[in-house]
Amino acid sequence: MNSLGIEQFPDYKVPGVQHVDFHPYESNGGSIVAIAGDDFVVIAADTRLSSGYTIHSRDQSKLFPMSSRTVLGSTGCWCDSLSLTGLVKLRMQMYEHTHLKTMTTDAVAQMLSIIMYNRRFFPYYVSNILAGLDKDGKGVVYSYDPIGHCERATYRAGGTAGSLLQPVLDNQIGYKNQNLPADQLPPLTKERAVAVASDTFISAAERDIYTGDSVLINIITKDGIEERTLQLRKD
Amino acid sequence: MSILAYNGGCVVAMRGKDCVAIATDHRFGVQAQTISTDFKKVFHIAPRMFLGLTGLQTDILTVRDRLMFRKNIYETKENREMAPKPFSAMLSNFLYEHRFGPYFIEPVVAGLDPKTLKPFICNMDLIGCPNEPDDFVVAGTCAEQLYGMCETLWRPDLEPDQLFEVIAQSMVNAFDRDAMSGWGATVYIIEADKITERALKTRMD
Amino acid sequence: MALAEICKISNASYMKPSAWTSSEVEEDLNAFTSNLANPYTLAAPPFENPLENLNKIQANGEKTGIKINFDHGTTTLGFKYQGGVILAVDSRATGGQYIGSQTMKKIVEINQFLLGTLAGGAADCVYWDRVLAKECRLHELRNKERISVAAASKIMANIAHEYKGMGLSMGMMLAGYDKRGPGLYYVDSEGSRTPGNVFSVGSGSIYAFGVLDSGYHWDLKDTEAQELGRRAIYHATYRDAYSGGIVRVYHMTPNGWIKISETDCMELHYKYKEEKEAK
Repeated sequence: MNSLGIEQFPDYKVPGVQHVDFHPYESNGGSIVAIAGDDFVVIAADTRLSSGYTIHSRDQSKLFPMSSRTVLGSTGCWCDSLSLTGLVKLRMQMYEHTHLKTMTTDAVAQMLSIIMYNRRFFPYYVSNILAGLDKDGKGVVYSYDPIGHCERATYRAGGTAGSLLQPVLDNQIGYKNQNLPADQLPPLTKERAVAVASDTFISAAERDIYTGDSVLINIITKDGIEERTLQLRKD
Repeated sequence: MSILAYNGGCVVAMRGKDCVAIATDHRFGVQAQTISTDFKKVFHIAPRMFLGLTGLQTDILTVRDRLMFRKNIYETKENREMAPKPFSAMLSNFLYEHRFGPYFIEPVVAGLDPKTLKPFICNMDLIGCPNEPDDFVVAGTCAEQLYGMCETLWRPDLEPDQLFEVIAQSMVNAFDRDAMSGWGATVYIIEADKITERALKTRMD
Repeated sequence: MALAEICKISNASYMKPSAWTSSEVEEDLNAFTSNLANPYTLAAPPFENPLENLNKIQANGEKTGIKINFDHGTTTLGFKYQGGVILAVDSRATGGQYIGSQTMKKIVEINQFLLGTLAGGAADCVYWDRVLAKECRLHELRNKERISVAAASKIMANIAHEYKGMGLSMGMMLAGYDKRGPGLYYVDSEGSRTPGNVFSVGSGSIYAFGVLDSGYHWDLKDTEAQELGRRAIYHATYRDAYSGGIVRVYHMTPNGWIKISETDCMELHYKYKEEKEAK
């Protein structure tokens, strides 16, 4: 009791203002490489799913087959990858039921761009690479930024080790800085594409902690999708 | 933006068979603006030793000068040439002296031991934690790209010619994917009997 | 079901004959892909004031290493002269310091008489240019005549104004040829829209302006004008870290646009160097 007759509370240690932050994203790691040839396309992704220094899974495919000639590789925030690829699959099914034909790779590419842009103000945290055969049977690769800017390319690396892998592809597949005349560039074979993709992953697994365990390689040709795996270092 | 990336630039060094190579880009910029394209970040500091420094340009010059001073004192006192190994130890100590107000640089040392002629490469973080691998070391704004390239192209026991090809391709393709480095490159190959300096023709954008 | 009604749990999924109904799934699906049907309905973020709060989430990413890097960085220019409009652009897309692409198309071919350049957020520009292309085509079908550059740029400015303060990032030039002759407008994500004779947009624009202003006059010949545009972009790619790749030059004539050239910066650099040394 003090002089005013108002009970004074003892000095509590108050916890202060609680500040709550919104953490909607998580990086689950993983890398993708896609290389297109004249009548085939190779897309590869590692199978490690991690969060910080913890590995959730050593055997999680990040390649989503969308049709017999289109495969989508998606890394970043795994939950965003799942909901995004789920949506695309659903829309492709709807398309198939209304038009009685499978969506072409180019159409899927454009649709994916628009669906990603729908979340312009709260983006999907994903790094997408779409690989497939176009309507002429030629291999194509589309790469995306998180809000759906899409670019057609012939080779592309993405994900956590994207910056390690991309210059290697520039050099080995694009023959950048090798000073070869344009007509002397050796044609790209399926075996070479697979070999380069595998090599780049072996390199990436050495330096990127989010890439490792094994690589899943999908080779898309007019005859369908062939799957191969390659073991990587597991530390 | 990190202060280490303020001026841009990159350095890489590699070990070969009885030789080492070190390469630098030529860009000196202020953030996005390219000020000059003839700033080599590698310095010839002893007959068979080079020091590469990436990071903040003002600190690159200061650290180089202060190290030269310490190295000259050492050589005067001891009356013998400073080998890469003690030089790196000295550099590491020098950087750690500024533990709580560091120089914003990432150093790379490459050279042959003056007596044994054994190849030596080493890099450090900005406070002097040394790393002496037996393959290659990288530093600069495109370190990730360099790791990817070197990890794919490097093999043990490369001859000087092959080593030049590997380091040149690694450097050029790596900085072609980095906005802050490039604009020309120089490679130095250090062998027991000679040092070869070669300028590379690169993209200038 | 009275109890359920009183308890207000009638909507809970376990009170339904099936755990989910197809109509609900359809509703969800339509909500998540709403802009396929109507491009203007983008998903609302689960927080208010997206410009500020999305930036906050991204600033937090600085600590956690989770960063969303949109493709950015550009030099583009456009100018009117006696022979029409010249547009010239570089082709580099950077996410942070990393060069995501050296071959990006920064001139969007909206139709035969309308071109748009893009600077700023690549996805923003490409998406809304596509919407603009749709609106322009609809205008043609409704009115039996091509849309004027003024009207097209107004549509774009209206879109930008609609989303003002939401964090869109666009700086585009629209070039075309209509009844009034050659048209060139600058439209940006802040909602401004200005006609003009000479524009340059993007991180390298200051360098491009230096070359452009010193060489520009109305009576340039076609080849001179094209070379001026090319040279201005080249000099910007040399000085600006975020510009580079290929220099693309387009020419808008009374008969529609023509693609003049696509030249690699490396080739241009050594060509110009040779010319300078020969003098």
